[in-house]
Amino acid sequence: MSDQKTPRKSAFGEVKGHIDALATGFKYFVDPHRMTLDYPAEAMELPKNYRGFFRLVDEKCIGCSLCEIVCPSNAIVMMQLPVAQSPAPQAGAQAPARPGPKVKKRPVVDWGMCIFCYFCVDVCPTEAFEPSSIHDLSYFEESEYRPTFEGFLKLPESPSKNSKKVVAKLDEKNGIKYEEKGDKE
Amino acid sequence: MMTFLYFIPNSWLPLLESAFYALIFPGFVAILLLAFFIIWFERKAAARVQMRYGPLWVSKRTGGIIQLLADMIRFSFQEFIIPQGADFIPFVFLPGLLLAFSVLPTVFIPIGPDYSHIFPSNYSLLLAVAFTLVIPVYLVALGWAADNKFSFIGALREAYLLVSYEVPFILAVASAFLLYGSLDLVKIVGIQEGTLPGIILNPLAAIVYIIAVIRATGRVPYDIVEADSELVFGPYTEYSSLMFGFVMGVPYIELYSYSLLFSVLFLSGWAPVTGIGFLGGLILPGIVTFVKSVIVMCFLVFLRAVYPRYKLDKAVRAGWSWVFYLALAALLLSAVVSRVLW
Repeated sequence: MSDQKTPRKSAFGEVKGHIDALATGFKYFVDPHRMTLDYPAEAMELPKNYRGFFRLVDEKCIGCSLCEIVCPSNAIVMMQLPVAQSPAPQAGAQAPARPGPKVKKRPVVDWGMCIFCYFCVDVCPTEAFEPSSIHDLSYFEESEYRPTFEGFLKLPESPSKNSKKVVAKLDEKNGIKYEEKGDKE
Repeated sequence: MMTFLYFIPNSWLPLLESAFYALIFPGFVAILLLAFFIIWFERKAAARVQMRYGPLWVSKRTGGIIQLLADMIRFSFQEFIIPQGADFIPFVFLPGLLLAFSVLPTVFIPIGPDYSHIFPSNYSLLLAVAFTLVIPVYLVALGWAADNKFSFIGALREAYLLVSYEVPFILAVASAFLLYGSLDLVKIVGIQEGTLPGIILNPLAAIVYIIAVIRATGRVPYDIVEADSELVFGPYTEYSSLMFGFVMGVPYIELYSYSLLFSVLFLSGWAPVTGIGFLGGLILPGIVTFVKSVIVMCFLVFLRAVYPRYKLDKAVRAGWSWVFYLALAALLLSAVVSRVLW
């Protein structure tokens, strides 16, 4: 590579290049083509099958650990939770043959590690994961972010819940333009 | 003049004028407000060109102009950390010294024709240039004192660029001196008022001056010293809290004094407006000079939106080759023009 040299421009060509660059910059300074989405105020409407956050339906889960095994990013951890013991058997009623398990295993997802591949949703034999179309999530404190079983039972609240939904459209002049949903439909 | 201040003894008036000059306009308060404006403008202009919004959420109606104020309040509540290996006294006191020396050249640069009774000097150009050239020495010392590899590399780069760009800068100023035949900046503006602005008389010197200023203040094509993608923040890496605010403001204040000198040397200073007395001879022409230098500053910070960063070796090579040749050509042009005109 050392013998390759960039083609030398003439002095005039270099000066012209600088002037062209400055002129282009000035053109954009006077007439800006902004592509930024004003995010919390307006949010992009994503396709319907775009995989979002999901929650656990505790009643359906059988604690089989398949989701933990299949998870490629090790985001799922099986937690051991104490089971509320059934009330003591009444006199005369037949005692259960075997006492129920004292702990149950339930999956908990760390959203910081999840890659949203949905392998766990697909592999679940009882369809205990309930998918949703929520794609954005934000926390104010680190403690809110730590994965807990109680937190996994309900869907996270989206920060763009009340924002205006827009659709990205290709635009010849601007590159990308955001239109309000329902303009063209 | 100043009849509304009838209760103040006449002998105090020069002192009051000097105090106003140093503290309010074009001194401390004006520089502070200007630094706030120019940092906001830099970020906003770069954002407009790069298809973004820039600072917006602090006071959305004004386009985020008080963003820096919010940042400053945040800085002032942070802890000032002194690294264990740092040289305590230089590390703590050099930022203040740097700030003082970046403001100091403005003392010698007149902003109006009646400036000579505030600071009478026949060598104001020499003094202003001399005091601008002191700053890099402190910058190198500051990078050395912090005991951090990024600071150290930044200081070394500053030293490399110093020797390559100080020579064209001094040659550009020397060609201005050769052109006007005077070191008194008030006289220099008088000569430009009589003929043409210096940027038309000697455009080469103006171009070399601008390039050297971009280098000296670390604006974008030559922001090699700070280089935030390679060295974290160059010599200033270890500074935190309010001290970071100080060192961040230093290049902008430097930029102000260089631009003021540029507008006096090459843009004929206060040219359309002249007069005598405090108001007519200092403040009104001062506003004209100030606006001219603000426009120069806006152009210099606008370059951030257009250029990528030069490599160190390319910048040094440019400083010793074509910028140097251009400076020599400017010197020659000055000699020719001054022979033709007077």
